[in-house]
Amino acid sequence: MNTSPIRECGPMEISEQDVLVAMKTMQGYIDITPADFREIYRMAYALAKNRLMNNLKAADVMSSPVHVIPAEMDLVDTAILLAEQNISGAPVIDGDGRIVGVISEKDFLIRMGAGENGSFMQVVASCLKNRGCLATPLRNQIARDIMTTPAIVRPPDVAIGAIATLFMEKKINRLPITDSDGHPIGIVTRLNLINSWCALG
Amino acid sequence: MRYFEKMRGHTQSPPGVGPAEVIWSGIGSFLGLAAVSLLHFQLLDPVGHMMIIGSFGASAVLIYGAIRSPLAQPRNLIGGHVLSAIVGVTAFQILGGQLWLAASVAVSLAIVVMHLTKTLHPPGGATALIAVIGGDSIHNLGYWYVLMPTALGAVIMLIIALIVNNISGNRRYPEFWL
Repeated sequence: MNTSPIRECGPMEISEQDVLVAMKTMQGYIDITPADFREIYRMAYALAKNRLMNNLKAADVMSSPVHVIPAEMDLVDTAILLAEQNISGAPVIDGDGRIVGVISEKDFLIRMGAGENGSFMQVVASCLKNRGCLATPLRNQIARDIMTTPAIVRPPDVAIGAIATLFMEKKINRLPITDSDGHPIGIVTRLNLINSWCALG
Repeated sequence: MRYFEKMRGHTQSPPGVGPAEVIWSGIGSFLGLAAVSLLHFQLLDPVGHMMIIGSFGASAVLIYGAIRSPLAQPRNLIGGHVLSAIVGVTAFQILGGQLWLAASVAVSLAIVVMHLTKTLHPPGGATALIAVIGGDSIHNLGYWYVLMPTALGAVIMLIIALIVNNISGNRRYPEFWL
């Protein structure tokens, strides 16, 4: 399966007509057919892409510093913090600063009647049906209670190609990057990946 | 089915070249052939030597008419002619009793050797063939055939190519030397 969103700014397909026009622009007799050139282009592009996907590391594309949520933080404060920072999720840390989980919009939504998919529209539907919203069960709870565990984390030298695969396989949207002690040093989101991929193109 | 399908071809011809390329190809090949044939007919032929062989006409197509081609680069021009000449003379000397065999071995082995040495130059095949079918005047040269006419003629053609192909701002030669 190769439908990761980062492919959307991926390799440009060139037509034989493009090659033909380019060859004409170069003047002189070019000793190759347009189809052969296109074949070489494709292979070279695939190699270059592979090289970049393997050479570009999490450390090169991650957002840093990363906003973290203490595990004991009240959910109201957690929601406020996420809203203020305009982020949809963050790693949760224990008293030693080590990552113990990840909390995101989805964790809230699931507990507000969104079902396992964490669909916001499901919450809207429940609210309308019940003439009121169901955020109240979240009161008096802390981040640790609703966070997703175990946290999926990676070291800063993981390649962006591997991160893309991880996003697809684990159906996650962000990957905290940790040092060898488990302390967060950055985070790679889907947006980071898309930006890095477009920069390659 | 796929086998016959492949015979239909699958892409189109590269674009034709502009008028400047046509003119420079004409000028270069005229001067290149003029240089070797002047030496040949005015100087060497009267005293029983030779400087020109048929395969130079083919080399002219490449080194004046398709100067970007890897086949047209100095390594290929000189290497291809010289190695093919050696192969051709050797083939004739060993297999000369069976000319058909000498001719086919000369050309096929020349191609193999040029491939192996990254000196593929199509006119080299002709150079090897001429060593076999060129008649007594060629046969009598023995391995001198490698040096003159082959190597010397090719060098002169190369010098003209270096001079002429770099005059126009849009052309340059060679792409590489070795």
